Amino acid sequence: MKETNEQLSSLIDNENIDSKSLDALINDKQQQAVFSRYQLMGDVMRNENAINIDISEQVMAEIAKQPTLETVTPIIANEPTPIKADNNVIAFVKRFGQYAIAASVAGVVVMTSFMTSQPVVENSGIEVLNTVPFGGGASPVSLQASQKLSKQALQDRHERLEALLKDHQLQLQVQQ
Amino acid sequence: MNKVSSVRIIFAGLLLFFIPFSMADESDEDHQPLMPAEQQILPSAIQYLQLMQNAYQMKNYEVIYLSSLQKQLEPMQLIHGVVDGQQVSYFRYLNGAIRESLQFAGEISYFEQGAPAYTLKSNHNRHVFANIANFDYQKGLENYDYVILGKGRIAGKQSIAIRVISKDDYRYSYVIWCDLHSLLPLRLDIVSPSNVLLEQLMVVSLKVSEKVNPWLVKLTENPRPEVVHIRQLATEKTSRWKTSWLPAGFTVVKNDQHKLAMNENEMVSYIMLDDGIVNVSIYISPKKLALDEKQKLIRHGSTVLYTEQRGINEVNVVGDVPIATAKRLVKSLVWVTNDN
Repeated sequence: MKETNEQLSSLIDNENIDSKSLDALINDKQQQAVFSRYQLMGDVMRNENAINIDISEQVMAEIAKQPTLETVTPIIANEPTPIKADNNVIAFVKRFGQYAIAASVAGVVVMTSFMTSQPVVENSGIEVLNTVPFGGGASPVSLQASQKLSKQALQDRHERLEALLKDHQLQLQVQQ
Repeated sequence: MNKVSSVRIIFAGLLLFFIPFSMADESDEDHQPLMPAEQQILPSAIQYLQLMQNAYQMKNYEVIYLSSLQKQLEPMQLIHGVVDGQQVSYFRYLNGAIRESLQFAGEISYFEQGAPAYTLKSNHNRHVFANIANFDYQKGLENYDYVILGKGRIAGKQSIAIRVISKDDYRYSYVIWCDLHSLLPLRLDIVSPSNVLLEQLMVVSLKVSEKVNPWLVKLTENPRPEVVHIRQLATEKTSRWKTSWLPAGFTVVKNDQHKLAMNENEMVSYIMLDDGIVNVSIYISPKKLALDEKQKLIRHGSTVLYTEQRGINEVNVVGDVPIATAKRLVKSLVWVTNDN
């Protein structure tokens, strides 16, 4: 053990190493851990780039210890509540979450605060493959201040637009 | 000396003997998925799209993907499997509040942090890529051209890009990337008629398995939340309006009067259009709030909300269509004088 450690440290210091000890190192998990610690110590001593400790394994282990996936429980735990089966026609939005109708318009509120006029003339031309980086989509949205509308009127307007958007989403969902 | 060299010769001979085997072995393992495809006639663009549809519906897979919309990224996950011959899909948002849904057997259940879970009756799959995976591409030839753009790499997979180009300016075009191996969709770009990228969905991790995810099977066995019926759907009356023009390929799938889901006092005339990929909603209602302009436009990614006031009425068009389509639809609305 001590000997291999010496080999390790000579490996780090770029001293003569034979391929046998390299192989041994590669096949020995414990040695690898020692190696990475030595490397780290070396880095710290040389004051090289900030310590970069890989704690992902520990974090994952911690996560694994947590009670089973929270995301799963609602599905299992949700026994249908006993109610009269024939009369469960209810005001949908009042009683339930709005996820169904907000799912694809997560940005509704943000969106309605952006009143757009005519979009800026979009650059035309043939799109060349691979020139559109991910996340680099252009979306010409200009903020147009509606000075003439009072704050209250604007708010009413936004509420109505939101109602329309959500109704649209719901209509899509319950389409047969 | 002689001994050593003869050993060497034998060794070299052995090597020579084994090399062809090892090479043959390699080509068998690594290139098998690609080799037949290259030797045979390659599928055409439409065949790729149809293969993609089949893969999306029939395979067991798990994808993690990003949606990019107006420079916002949202990571999401979809697990799909076929249990007893029927499709089951589980979807969730990976960031922020827990929002997940489970769809199978004509119902979709929603689970949301801080709200009771519920189920809706719905045969309409709205999970990622479902719109392009359930489109009738043969019929779509009337309105779209399909062109193979080339090959690339998405999520570490060799993939092929196919452009679905609209023949007119009344709908968006798409670029669909499919994994060459599993043929599952890996990326979708929604492109405006003037070639601006509006929205993008991109898979970052794909796992395909022979067997269905056992967790998914378990989900289907658990009792589901109570089914909610939506009252407003009961309205039988048709709207008093109709469109005198429709973009090619679109049909009217709903025509009614109902109260808005969020605002139950307000009755609206409602028309829904569908072209197999996108839907458009048209709302006609009496004007209540004054606008400082005759028309307003809001755009969010590919979704457009266009408002126009016409006399005492206000028309709102919501849907994933270009602005020109929304405007022309509003213009085409006519009042139905008789109830017939």
